[in-house]
Amino acid sequence: MGAVTEELLAAWQAQIRDAAARGDCVEIRGGGSKAFLGEPARGAVLDTRAWRGVVSYEPTELVITVRAGTPLAEVEAVLAERNQMLAFEPPHFGNATVGGMVAAGLSGPRRASAGAVRDHVLGISLLDGRGELLRFGGQVMKNVAGYDVSRLMCGAMGCLGLLLDVSLKVLPRPALERTVRLSMTLSEALQAMNRWGGEPLPISATCWVGDSVYVRLSGAHAAVDAAVARLKGDVLDDAAQAGFWLAIREQTHPFFSRHAPLWRLSVPSVEEPIGLPGEVLLEWGGALRWVLCEDGALARERASKEHGSAMLFRALHGSSLQRFDALSPASRAIHQRLKQAFDPARVFNRGRMYPDW
Amino acid sequence: MQTQLADFVRDTPDGAEAEAILRKCVHCGFCTATCPTYQLLGDELDGPRGRIYLIKQMLEGAAVSERTQLHLDRCLSCRACETTCPSGVEYGRLLDIGRKWAEDLAPPRSALAQARRWALANLVARPALFAAAYLVGRRLAPMLPGSLVGKIVPATPRGHWPAPRHARKCMVLRGCAQPAMLPDLNAAAARLLDRVGVSLIELRNDGCCGALRYHLNDQDGGRGDAARLLSAWLPVLERGEVEGIVVTASGCSSFIGEYSHLFRDDAPMQETAAKVVGVVRDVSELIAQYSSELAAVLRPPSSQRAMRLAFQSPCSLQHSLRIQGVVERLLKTAGYELVPVADAHLCCGSAGAYSVLQPEISAQLRDNKLAALTAADPVGIASANVGCIAHLGGRTRLPVRHWVEWLADLLPDHSAG
Amino acid sequence: MTDSLPGFALQDQAFEVVDRVALIEALSQILREGCLLTELEDLRPWECDGLAAMRETPSLVALPETEAQVIAVLRVCSRLGVPVVARGAGTSLSGGAMPHRHGVLLAMAKFRQILRVDPVARIAVVQPGVRNKAISEAALQHGLYYAPDPSSQIACTIGGNVAENAGGVHCLKYGLTVHNVMRVRGITIDGEVLECGSHALDGPGFDLLALVNGSEGMLLVITEVSVRLLPIPQQARCVLAAFGSVVQAGEAVAAIIAEGIIPAGLEMMDQPATAAVEAFVHAGYPLDAAAILLVECDGSPEEVAEELARVQSVLERAGAAAVRVSRNEEERLRFWAGRKAAFPAAGRLAPDYYCMDGTIPRRRLGEMLTAIAEMERKYALRCMNVFHAGDGNLHPLILFDSAAPGEQARAEAFGTEILERSVALGGSITGEHGVGVEKIAQMCVQFGDAEIRMFHRIKAAFDRSGLLNPGKAIPSLRRCAEGGRMHVTGGRLPYPELERF
Repeated sequence: MGAVTEELLAAWQAQIRDAAARGDCVEIRGGGSKAFLGEPARGAVLDTRAWRGVVSYEPTELVITVRAGTPLAEVEAVLAERNQMLAFEPPHFGNATVGGMVAAGLSGPRRASAGAVRDHVLGISLLDGRGELLRFGGQVMKNVAGYDVSRLMCGAMGCLGLLLDVSLKVLPRPALERTVRLSMTLSEALQAMNRWGGEPLPISATCWVGDSVYVRLSGAHAAVDAAVARLKGDVLDDAAQAGFWLAIREQTHPFFSRHAPLWRLSVPSVEEPIGLPGEVLLEWGGALRWVLCEDGALARERASKEHGSAMLFRALHGSSLQRFDALSPASRAIHQRLKQAFDPARVFNRGRMYPDW
Repeated sequence: MQTQLADFVRDTPDGAEAEAILRKCVHCGFCTATCPTYQLLGDELDGPRGRIYLIKQMLEGAAVSERTQLHLDRCLSCRACETTCPSGVEYGRLLDIGRKWAEDLAPPRSALAQARRWALANLVARPALFAAAYLVGRRLAPMLPGSLVGKIVPATPRGHWPAPRHARKCMVLRGCAQPAMLPDLNAAAARLLDRVGVSLIELRNDGCCGALRYHLNDQDGGRGDAARLLSAWLPVLERGEVEGIVVTASGCSSFIGEYSHLFRDDAPMQETAAKVVGVVRDVSELIAQYSSELAAVLRPPSSQRAMRLAFQSPCSLQHSLRIQGVVERLLKTAGYELVPVADAHLCCGSAGAYSVLQPEISAQLRDNKLAALTAADPVGIASANVGCIAHLGGRTRLPVRHWVEWLADLLPDHSAG
Repeated sequence: MTDSLPGFALQDQAFEVVDRVALIEALSQILREGCLLTELEDLRPWECDGLAAMRETPSLVALPETEAQVIAVLRVCSRLGVPVVARGAGTSLSGGAMPHRHGVLLAMAKFRQILRVDPVARIAVVQPGVRNKAISEAALQHGLYYAPDPSSQIACTIGGNVAENAGGVHCLKYGLTVHNVMRVRGITIDGEVLECGSHALDGPGFDLLALVNGSEGMLLVITEVSVRLLPIPQQARCVLAAFGSVVQAGEAVAAIIAEGIIPAGLEMMDQPATAAVEAFVHAGYPLDAAAILLVECDGSPEEVAEELARVQSVLERAGAAAVRVSRNEEERLRFWAGRKAAFPAAGRLAPDYYCMDGTIPRRRLGEMLTAIAEMERKYALRCMNVFHAGDGNLHPLILFDSAAPGEQARAEAFGTEILERSVALGGSITGEHGVGVEKIAQMCVQFGDAEIRMFHRIKAAFDRSGLLNPGKAIPSLRRCAEGGRMHVTGGRLPYPELERF
């Protein structure tokens, strides 16, 4: 660690302790690419981007350790040189950083087959709300010593600590990827996706939008070719394939450009449509449903009926709706006690997950 | 595991054997997975590992109550745990030692319990008495308690027994309960073997192999039965009249296989036992030698449906004798279709006198076993042991028969019987 | 807002004031006859789990049959301040289910129902006492299975798997328990029902599911688990490769990964381990090889053929003395049977064994094995090595005889040295067996006081009084201070230039 980072760390520690002493809060911010996500941020900005760079990368160990302020694009470029990747295909939504990727906990099209961010985080170091430097996990695939704090940080919206270094499991890029498009209604697509999910097919992503289902197959040549032949449908050319999944991952697909609240429904794999008014885009074999829906209460009610959850992903300006579903009383109590364990003075991202804490 | 046996047992043969077995156990718990009683009851004390511990603490001198005895009694002696154990723990032998010492160290059993155990050992193990009682029982079935009625199966009359025309002859064990319960079994074996050049002969009164009494913890009584059987067989063998001995009940086969160990403290008897046991074979081992010859003679019916069987491998066959896949191959070679059976390693709950002494556990195991056997809709059930056949046969409409009988059905002159 | 540490963070609680009579009285109101064991004769067989070297007789054993009984038992224990240790099949190799002498051992083995197998959603909902392997057996009819397969999968329960975040021989490709469990329903020590995760792929709030996985029974008593089922690969074949040296075998592993191949399984065994299991399983392992590798490829037949060819060529380039591919399913299972029976088969070589569970970066394998060979001489004990080579998880089995004076102490010192070396090489003291009671001292090597304090705070967020499985997994600060060990990571102090907090 160089003098610059050392100085930076000390400055952050001072800032955290200072804020804690005064009862202030800070907004942890990387590229600001997901500023729209969650409740509005409060407090002075702590910009993480100075804490950047690849700390170590061992392709044969399938592990990369990077500083949290490193642009995600930079990490992906480093991996691509060795024909490896972040298997959970995180969205960027702009100048994303690794820290923001972990804190937001969002994964892309490959999530249903390859796992989420949390499934690939091996270790983390962080500053807690007391300014203490803590290290959890490590650079090995298997590590069950102590509670799994590294994974706890995934999707915690920065409410538990300031992430410093992150070790991630990486995977080789598949030898071949092909995407086929089949015309289907929503119901047909849901049934087909669930059926395929139960078969040993090398599916790495699915998406239903408009009146078509797109299925991406990844793996060994023989397996992909056989699956393409089995599913039939139109095969996208390389450029169209790359363009399509990028547009889904980054939400630049025309579906996402409508002027309406965007709800993200995460539901169990069921074969039936949920029956919400508004346009729908499906991912993850039907387990992720993007709905453009004006009636937030109804979205929440339907998701909950399916034992899933609804997140107001992109709200229209001035919306007063809570972004995340309310927690059960037992869970809420544990959440608040965990918050207190990590950040007793509520310095970090106060109110970012739930407005009252 | 570490053990420190108490003075009263340390220097006895039992102590030495127990110590050696206990030290092999690493307490991994794999055995619990295939233990029928643990799978039913979910109590460590009703699984092999817990029983090993109970025996260990008893032999280490801890106080023993009727509860230790209860958990040891609940063991079926099926020895599925031995098949599973990667460390080679001889659980069955340790259990025998444990049961024997528990009888001395635990408070005496109630008079009623003692009477029941005595009656079982002395009724069933005596062929004539058992046959008479069994006949009466069949008539009195409506008036008997459920656990006993379940045992009373319709008799298949004894069929034709070919005259001993071949130079190669084997003697077959009549045993105790079998002639009354499965009168045609040995005859069916004789008919099959006759076709491949082996004549079977039977001694009129050979009697019980000793398993029944031994497993009711009358270990001396069991040894007595075994000695009687050996002395009945020995002269026939010595006269060279037969080349070997065949046993059609896998429960008896497996117990006879243990004779050398049974007489480990009696060198001359052990020598005799070793000599005899060397020529004793389970009927499956003998018939398997003639598998292709038999297949050439047997005439399966044209209806495929009639050939769907579920095979229940008795614990004595698969866990004690470790004969696995042999009977299945014989049946398949003969043209039978064997349906898949879940949890094939689990005991059916018969286990000798167990079904009478532990009726609740036994009934539940039997119901589970029958559900597994009939799940794929077979036309019949094949087994290899008289106890299992009687136990299962009483509670299903499907015929439950010895696999030898199923094979003999396919002999061309079967109808001529 | 207060920021104090829970009392149990500073030093282990004694729990000597437990009113056993009141406890028995209260619990006998809740549990059926035969489900509350109170006599020493019945209690001693529970004194250890799969780690027989560490024993403690519980005060009582409770065998609840319903969730309502679990809640009631926990409320009583919470009210009376009684420690509770949950136990599944008792197969833990780290003493995770070792009882507490003043506590209730909560045996969950009667919770053995598979509640639902949903072939469409590919989820099984099971009670915690269901055996790992029984889930796959139940899913078989739908062409599905549950992927994590710890060696004890025949016997170990899913509740224990979640508590320990169990791994297995296929977790390189298919992940650990944490990657395959969707939802856990559990009861806090206060008797509150808490559901973590859902049948959806994510949900609001913190990832409590991740926290509960591998929490070693310290946070919740699990009463229901939903697991993800996967389609059974159409085909699986296993390559058995023999090497003249363990280092060479280690290099072959790195070469496979470097080739971009993630096999379904990638396991190594050294010569003593091979010999021990061969006697039991007759897997056909070459006994003259210094190390053998098992590489499993699964998928469609085309995929398997393609991957097998690549694996074989890498192995040959890496200097394998012999390479054999399983010809049929029977042979493949036989190849694996040897590996899966490796731990207990150690019982054939010695009356006792210690199974270590350190993980190291794969590239340090040669160094590690050389160090272990030196330790064998130093402690005059034999050691056989089995290794989840794909993910750097090493299982040295230290053979000893606890009846021989001094051997157990030497074995423990041997194990400690291996674990400390694992941490020094940039690894962890435990990859999948958990810390339990066995490796609690080494936690002070892997973590500094600041992390230990945070672990205790997390524990307190679920269990303020520290009643669930006390004395396990996370050492008290006093224990670390008395152990006098210095926390090291990757062979150096973390941020050595910084002031230690």
